[in-house]
Amino acid sequence: MRVVIAEDSVLLREGLRSLLEDSGIEVVGTAGDAAELLTAVADHLPDLALVDVRMPPSFTDEGLQAALEIRRTWPEVGLLVLSQYVEEQYAADLIGAGTRAIGYLLKDRVADVGVFIESVRNVAGGGAVIDPEVVAQLVRRRRTQDTLDRLTSRELDVLSAMAEGRSNAAIADACGISIGSVEKHISSIFMKLDLAPEPDDHRRVLAVLTYLHR
Amino acid sequence: MARRVADTASTRRRVAYLLATLPVGLFWFLSLWVLLAVGLSLAVLWIGLPILRLALGAVRIGADGERRFVKWGLGVSVPVPPRADTGEARWWSARLADPATWREAIYLMLLLPLGVVWFSLVTIALAVPLTMLATPLTYRFFPTGQFSFVSQEWRWVIISSLPKSLVFAVVGVLLLLVVPRVVRGLAGLHGAIAVRLLGPNTKIELEAQVRDLRVARAFGLEAAEFERTRIERNLHDGAQPRLIALAMELGQAKEKMSTDPEAAMRLIDRAHEHAKLAMAELRDLARGIHPAVLTDRGLDAALSALAGQSPVPVDVTNNLAGRLPPPIESAAYFVAAEALTNAAKHSGASRVGITVDRSGERVAIGVADNGVGGADPTGSGLRGLADRVGAVGGTLEVESPPGGPTIVRAELPCE
Repeated sequence: MRVVIAEDSVLLREGLRSLLEDSGIEVVGTAGDAAELLTAVADHLPDLALVDVRMPPSFTDEGLQAALEIRRTWPEVGLLVLSQYVEEQYAADLIGAGTRAIGYLLKDRVADVGVFIESVRNVAGGGAVIDPEVVAQLVRRRRTQDTLDRLTSRELDVLSAMAEGRSNAAIADACGISIGSVEKHISSIFMKLDLAPEPDDHRRVLAVLTYLHR
Repeated sequence: MARRVADTASTRRRVAYLLATLPVGLFWFLSLWVLLAVGLSLAVLWIGLPILRLALGAVRIGADGERRFVKWGLGVSVPVPPRADTGEARWWSARLADPATWREAIYLMLLLPLGVVWFSLVTIALAVPLTMLATPLTYRFFPTGQFSFVSQEWRWVIISSLPKSLVFAVVGVLLLLVVPRVVRGLAGLHGAIAVRLLGPNTKIELEAQVRDLRVARAFGLEAAEFERTRIERNLHDGAQPRLIALAMELGQAKEKMSTDPEAAMRLIDRAHEHAKLAMAELRDLARGIHPAVLTDRGLDAALSALAGQSPVPVDVTNNLAGRLPPPIESAAYFVAAEALTNAAKHSGASRVGITVDRSGERVAIGVADNGVGGADPTGSGLRGLADRVGAVGGTLEVESPPGGPTIVRAELPCE
């Protein structure tokens, strides 16, 4: 698996490189700003670009803009965006670009090496990974508005786990229930929210996120 | 009796003042117009500017003199309006924008016409009764052998005998008794004009104050915004990535603990280093937000601490006794801190001098280095500093010609 890292802090860039390389992931290029990132992606066409939202020169969201640009130009490149803060709007921009091979995580998540590497592999393999904080924010906002009240608290947990991009097995693990009951909860959720059932994991995430973000 | 004496003395002074207004007014009228005309016509040649400056200075001198003269002659105290004086850099704009300047100029221009009127009225008020009083002695010496009042053409009263002249003299005495009242009336009128034009104008002053406060508030908001951005950036560039790296290294170490304990140990060592660096960065950041020593011990101690931390040798000359208000101390401190940082980073200076002086209600802090100059006053650091200084009502000047030296100077108000 080949990865390009874009991060303006040298410290974190090298830290991420060592983290990924320790797990047998090949880092083919690094970038300190958006322009370097685009060049590196064009040169290497990696499986995944790991992108910091905030980079020079303006330190706003040029990383995110570059990620969207990558998606438009090289749709096969997976995108995992790291952000210092949870910004629902940033996540929404990414989700808007489709949920195939995208991820949006808080930078803090790199501390849990195993989970982080799992997310990297997941996104590179075409999956979607959304930070639990973002999902929680989306759910909170939706709840204050309306329909999530119809869900039981267990169903809310399952919904959040789904939105984070987890598989049925992972959801079952996280919630401490069987895969069978996870499937039951999921079909109940889709019915209550008037969503068409989605057998495919990625499309399921998209459906849930789109619903949450609507 | 004492009251009478005091009355006579004050009447004499009033008369002196009112009569003197004519020559004084003539003097200011001529000199100000001449200075203005010469100054304006030579303004293109630059020589005119110092002359115009002289004219503006003369207005203030004249107004100050009149305040004292009015106090002496008319017994009316005219308070000095609050003056928006600033440093040399904004002398012109401050002086021209100050409504007090214009009211003072108008007053000095009015002195001439007022002087003409007061001179005539006072002269008539004194001459008529005195002439009448003197008629018993003088009517015989007139060419026609008689004294005609008002004049030869309008002969309302003709004095041609002693009894007639005595009646006339009595009327003169009565009129003379009224003179002090007339003089007092005129003096009161002039005093009112002086107070109106030379004193503080509550409405205009309040408007000016509101304007100044609004500007200061805008500066304050901008400075706070700048400060918040700076802190966020410092955190983003410093402590935050260090802490993430630290967590990442500990996470990696945890993974490796069982399989490769030596590698795990190296990672823990690095994490330990990063933890210490993050602490140092947070400590520096906290000091950058507000140094504790400034609150505890005041500007002198804080400047010494700054000098101690500076990589460039610093001489601190503090001519200040006692503490200043906290916002002023803080502003002065940050002027020194920013200027020192710039001197160390960009100027290549081998020596920096910090001086703190107080003159009246203003404190001046100056930082001068012997470096290469060329500092950009519109750069984010100095602009943020100017906002910070402006927020407390001060002014910041930066002189940094290419080749040096750089002088950063702030004047701060302190009551």
